[in-house]
Amino acid sequence: MSSRQPLPTVTPFFADKQERLSEILARYPEYGRRSALMPLLWEVQRAERHVSEARVEEIAEILGLHATEVKGVMSFYGTYHEHPVGRYHLQVCRTLSCSLAGADTLADFLEDELDLVNGETDPEGRFSLQYVECLGSCGTAPVLQVNDTYFERVSRSRCRALLDAMRRDTLPEPTLERGGDNEPNAPDQEGGAA
Amino acid sequence: MSDTASSAPKPITSRFDPRFEPTLYAHVGVPGSHTLSYYRSHGGYEAASKALGLEPKAVVDEVKASGLRGRGGAGFPTGVKWSFMPPVDGRQRFIVCNADESEPGSFKDRYLLEDDPHQLIEGMLIAGWAIQATIGVVYVRGEYYHAYGRLAAAIDEARAAGILGRGVLGSEFDFDLILHRGAGAYICGEETALMNSFEGLRANPRLKPPFPAQAGVYGLPSTINNVESFCAAVHIVARGAAWHAAMGTDDSKGMKLYQVSGPVARPGVYEVPMGATFRELIMELAGGPSEPAKAIIPGGSSTPLLPWSDATLDLPMDYGTMAKHRSMLGTGGVIVIPERKCIVDAYYNVVRFYAHESCGKCTPCREGSATWLPKMYQKLLAGQGTHEDLALMEDMVKHMRGTAFCPLADACAMPVQASFEHFRHEYEHLVDQGESLYPRRREWAA
Repeated sequence: MSSRQPLPTVTPFFADKQERLSEILARYPEYGRRSALMPLLWEVQRAERHVSEARVEEIAEILGLHATEVKGVMSFYGTYHEHPVGRYHLQVCRTLSCSLAGADTLADFLEDELDLVNGETDPEGRFSLQYVECLGSCGTAPVLQVNDTYFERVSRSRCRALLDAMRRDTLPEPTLERGGDNEPNAPDQEGGAA
Repeated sequence: MSDTASSAPKPITSRFDPRFEPTLYAHVGVPGSHTLSYYRSHGGYEAASKALGLEPKAVVDEVKASGLRGRGGAGFPTGVKWSFMPPVDGRQRFIVCNADESEPGSFKDRYLLEDDPHQLIEGMLIAGWAIQATIGVVYVRGEYYHAYGRLAAAIDEARAAGILGRGVLGSEFDFDLILHRGAGAYICGEETALMNSFEGLRANPRLKPPFPAQAGVYGLPSTINNVESFCAAVHIVARGAAWHAAMGTDDSKGMKLYQVSGPVARPGVYEVPMGATFRELIMELAGGPSEPAKAIIPGGSSTPLLPWSDATLDLPMDYGTMAKHRSMLGTGGVIVIPERKCIVDAYYNVVRFYAHESCGKCTPCREGSATWLPKMYQKLLAGQGTHEDLALMEDMVKHMRGTAFCPLADACAMPVQASFEHFRHEYEHLVDQGESLYPRRREWAA
């Protein structure tokens, strides 16, 4: 497939973001221009909640690649979306430690509450539900990632409160959970860790 | 130590060891610890200044003498890895940080990245000087967005303060970092897959040799280490190799960030000297299991489980002991499996992870990890398995060992083999009775 020009009706994403584009390209050495591929995909997705065909072609054009090469990379990774996700993209970890902490029940609860199954977005474009693999929050399981933010130790009541907040189009500040030595009831650590 | 300890000789390591104090993890959880001013007020960047006053080879030798082994899971001696770099020949050289922490049960690097990003920057600066690399790459997994933000801010602060850039810390050495965000692929934890990903390619592992020291990032000489390894290097330079080598066991030196998850009173990260026992970690630090336990996964889901027993609890968590018991220290990510969890269900969960994360390049992994194994587990758990299926599964995992480009197939096969070895009766019960010995629980904190 040859690299096609974006459709004339579509304004290029980076048309009015040349400075940002230059900043991203300048991170990498001249011979490593292709390294900007993933950051450019992120940049588009962050703004548009997915990366459309037109954007794929635009990124290919910027990097001197074929659109199919960009698509090939994009489709390899689990967190780039071909179709828009909702304003609140709920990602539930169901890997072992989270599963032991009730994540499977949490997942069922979300399916029921939102009337969605894994991979779906509601018609209003508010919620998307996706099952994901280990998020590295095993000590503060179960974890629910909303867009880019982790909500940890999500109990049934916390989950309800979180859903209620999102239905009002607000998202509470996450509490930074640490566990271990940072627990209020942790034994004294000699040497004075916090 | 616990009075229920058996007569096994106690290891010399403990958090009560007078030679030990929390180092890597001393500032995690402290408000403001991610800032340069906090870091500097706690001795930050003094080790880097010290290193820059030494010959690069002297820094490599110091890390070699410290006995530090790679904390990402494989346990390769860090200083030896650094010494593999070819002589300086004018080509660009890279030091790469693997911050793609994704092995289930592992979460230590996330807290380091979020709460102590300058510690990592200092470690990379020291390593960069040691191997004479002027560019460092930090590859952070895509989901660690908060960590990414903290690192980006820390790098900006460091540049503004002359810690990164031209002539760092008033020396003649130029060093800067490229922060790169992944996008949800466990395979990027494999060093050559990570390099492909950084280059804007699909994250398929490369054939080795050539190793990264010969042909790494962009085909140029590169060295790659784990977040915790870089952080340990800071303290080795600051306090000396002898301090580090005095802690730990014969083949495992220094301190280690162990993690505990599963049903225990206080799951989390604990820093203790290498070779502390499971008992010290699980029973004392983490407060013990909150319900009867039957198995311990010692270092992330790919490491073969050990049955829960007094003898297991008294094992020192070091590289050699875990190998002797046909398991691995891995990342030190301990998962406690409760008695009432069906082991077949637990390992379906583990296999499902590796199935999802297989890159599909090699046949044993694509067909084994990603296709046949999860389907066999589904069949078993549906109550439709036969004894022939069990034999087939055992045969299949044998053929997944050492037959693929990278260790992902092994990471899937090894724990399955161990689950058969120790809990075969649960598989057989499922086949014979058509239902699990321990029905699936629907518990979730209110």
